[in-house]
Amino acid sequence: MEKQKWNLEPDSRREFLANLVSGAATATVLMVVGPGASADHGVGGHSKKHRDLVYVINVNNCIGCGNCVRACKRENSVPSEYFRTWVERYVITKKGIYVDSPKGAIEGFKKINAAIRSESQLARTIPKMCNHCDNSPCIQVCPVGATYRTDDGFVLVDHEHCVGCAYCVQACPYGARFINPEKKKADKCTWCYHRVKAGKLPACVTVCPNKARMFGNLHDPDSEVAKVFKEDRWMTLRPEMHTHPYCFYVGLPREVR
Amino acid sequence: MPNPSPRSHLYRLGGLLVIGLIGFLAVKALATPSSWNHEDWYRGDSPKEIAALPLSYGGNESCQGCHKKTHDQVEAFGHKGLSCESCHGAVVDHAGDGKKIADAKVDMESNWQCMNCHEDQITKPKFFPTFKPTKTHEDVDADMLCSTCHEAHNPGL
Ligand code: HEC
Ligand code: HEC
Ligand code: HEC
Ligand code: HEC
Repeated sequence: MEKQKWNLEPDSRREFLANLVSGAATATVLMVVGPGASADHGVGGHSKKHRDLVYVINVNNCIGCGNCVRACKRENSVPSEYFRTWVERYVITKKGIYVDSPKGAIEGFKKINAAIRSESQLARTIPKMCNHCDNSPCIQVCPVGATYRTDDGFVLVDHEHCVGCAYCVQACPYGARFINPEKKKADKCTWCYHRVKAGKLPACVTVCPNKARMFGNLHDPDSEVAKVFKEDRWMTLRPEMHTHPYCFYVGLPREVR
Repeated sequence: MPNPSPRSHLYRLGGLLVIGLIGFLAVKALATPSSWNHEDWYRGDSPKEIAALPLSYGGNESCQGCHKKTHDQVEAFGHKGLSCESCHGAVVDHAGDGKKIADAKVDMESNWQCMNCHEDQITKPKFFPTFKPTKTHEDVDADMLCSTCHEAHNPGL
């Protein structure tokens, strides 16, 4: 008699279980690694377009002064209490991780209290902003096409077209977006698109005193940012989200989210 | 009176659908901005509008024209590479059309600016010079300015 497909004879039952296990294992591997991850794990991710411009944040150089936050506010007329870029302080202790960002660090940081200081194992200030991802959740959820990526990789918001529904604010895993209370439109860092198009650096990079923030052409071998990729020691925020950020961090403690 | 066609309800429905479709296409055509980029799905004029926004910070090169001597002095000493505008404010608030339009910010009343960068904190990079409680710094308090001993443009001693 021909073998039936799911007859649970002892032999075929073993076969069935073996298939089940190997199938589940494959599915798990696919879920963890992600399809195609092997092909594009390096710099440059999803979009079909060629991208040159990258933003590099060297955490080891950040002194937490907040000049970037102040300059961003002035350059882009960001309403008070809202931030297109901000700086977070991470103090890692045996008992837990202490994170704060008083007023986005617009006035830098006050000395941390002695109790936390005495427990500190690693302490860093981490600049944060829009990551101008190559696989941006914000663009995917926008119902009207008001947020988009330019040909050279800037993720921008069209304030004229935006309806202020805030789906993108919810979708961003980095908390980089907010609803501008004056315009009632989604707002976020543009990598100072207007400055870069005029041949200048973003305002935050311009005022950074200790080269913690860098911006430039990844494919120009003489640029500061290209050196970072030559050494290949960068990280991105939340790689598990598969957003393919174009802000690359050097010296990022693994605890930072 | 002739009997109505047994399919008249279908004709009516079909007619309504055609009218609805025409209405939908008309609204869509009116609501889609003329510069719409159908490939990448955004208003094509938007990046041009954003690129046309005014600039506030000019970078150190923007001070060079009017303050060449000071500029080159700063670049020769310990604060080289610092942004003039991080201490003096954005250039558009001070100069425009080749003239001075308002005083540049100069903080001579407090140590806030110096301490904002130099306060000795656990988050500072290893090799960054901080304000340490050394013998010379013992008496420094809010009443004694850093500029008593250090020059902002040439801070080393
Ligand atoms: C660390 C903060 C700081 C930085 C950076 C800085 N300045 Fe100053 N600057 C001061 C202070 C404080 C004074 C007033 C005290 C003095 O005269 O030394 C001053 C004074 C000046 C003056 C008026 C007096 C003079 O020397 O002519 C000019 C002009 C000036 N700065 C230009 C610049 C330029 C240009 C740069 C960038 C190359 C620059 N500053 C960078 C803090 C700074
Ligand atoms: C269009 C010319 C011009 C430009 C550009 C310019 N300044 Fe000035 N600045 C002046 C003049 C004029 C004065 C007053 C006379 C003097 O002291 O030289 C002055 C004075 C100053 C002073 C002394 C305080 C004051 O307001 O009198 C500072 C500080 C200063 N400038 C900083 C800067 C910095 C920093 C930049 C670049 C971001 C800059 N300036 C760009 C023309 C300029
Ligand atoms: C915007 C941040 C910033 C401000 C404001 C600032 N500094 Fe500095 N300072 C720096 C940096 C960056 C260096 C260079 C650090 C290095 O060489 O690694 C430096 C270097 C120094 C040094 C060592 C200089 C040397 O030659 O070794 C002294 C002293 C100093 N600053 C004092 C001051 C004083 C006093 C003020 C206030 C007038 C001041 N700084 C304001 C960022 C700043
Ligand atoms: C009474 C004079 C005096 C005053 C006021 C003073 N300093 Fe100093 N500072 C010195 C001397 C001298 C040194 C050289 C090292 C030493 O002996 O401490 C120094 C060293 C430094 C250094 C380290 C430079 C290096 O290369 O490591 C920094 C940073 C600094 N001072 C910042 C400040 C700041 C910020 C203020 C204001 C809050 C200030 N100082 C006020 C005299 C002074």
